[in-house]
Amino acid sequence: MTILSYIFLIIGALFFLLGGLGVFRMPDTFNRIQAGTKATTLGAFSIIVGVLFGSVENHLDWIPKLIIIIVFIVISNPVGSSTIAKATYRSKNIPDNLIQDDLKERGEKQ
Amino acid sequence: MRKLFGLAITFALGLVIILALNNTVNFPAFGEVNLSERISGAYLSEDNVEEVGSANLVTSIVIGFRTFDTLGEVTVLFISSLGVAFILGRKKQKRMNLNFKPNFMLRVGSNILLAIILVTSFYIILHGHLSPGGGFPGGAMIASSVLLLYLADDRFRSNIKGFKLLEGFAGSLFVIIGLLGLVFATAFFANYLPTGTIGNFLSAGIIPIIYVLIGLKVGSEIAGIIDNFLTEEERA
Repeated sequence: MTILSYIFLIIGALFFLLGGLGVFRMPDTFNRIQAGTKATTLGAFSIIVGVLFGSVENHLDWIPKLIIIIVFIVISNPVGSSTIAKATYRSKNIPDNLIQDDLKERGEKQ
Repeated sequence: MRKLFGLAITFALGLVIILALNNTVNFPAFGEVNLSERISGAYLSEDNVEEVGSANLVTSIVIGFRTFDTLGEVTVLFISSLGVAFILGRKKQKRMNLNFKPNFMLRVGSNILLAIILVTSFYIILHGHLSPGGGFPGGAMIASSVLLLYLADDRFRSNIKGFKLLEGFAGSLFVIIGLLGLVFATAFFANYLPTGTIGNFLSAGIIPIIYVLIGLKVGSEIAGIIDNFLTEEERA
């Protein structure tokens, strides 16, 4: 159980590292949003799952709290990133090399 | 001229404070205080902690020994919310218009998050005598959930009358519990309920009850302030 918990912790830390790297290295806003939120969602998820596996042995009372934190992150992070992306689209901060624009096809005003 | 005068007064006041506090008996140098001679040392001594029965030392000071002080803090918050209501509160109100229409995902997501935020805030309030937190942060979390709904849902309108009722109810019950201390014990806000074992959920006498009331009061007060800020007068 401890080894499983360490594996999840390392995966989480790796995703945090990649997310932080992506925020600096990605070329435009949408890619940065994706790197900043998708990677950190999975990173936080894995780290909390790792803590959950680690707490099975002697901290059973942590488990419901950790599950609530997971639900919070899994809902709040994607919703926040989608809202930021929509706001970016509306502020016309769109990269030039955008190929597919579904919102424009649906007749959404910018 | 005025600025020069203000500067001179500031420096003079600072000099007076420094001279008054420097090397006097009541203000010893940094790190040379014997805490056991002070009142704060008495708060931390083992017998007194046992007497209050709260596992959280901060709570045992804030609600156990200095509840009257906390009543003052709650009053400060009450007066500030009253002032905001005096200036901004009008009878016919509509909520502030958002510049954009929040999409479906934001609305539904924030409604789900609201449940989690409220559960967490009540957890923090109820465990105020066991773990860090308590009435004030928990109440601020309740108010933050109202702010979240205001910003994420363009049709949301909080029930300000319900908040006012809850605030008055919690505040008066807080004082009534304190006054009951005069009946069942010797002092205002005396801890007259059995304290139980330290660390149990049902322990520390009246502290959890007072913290629940403070949490409800702080939450409804800050929610009322937010509501006053985010509504505007309806133009006839």
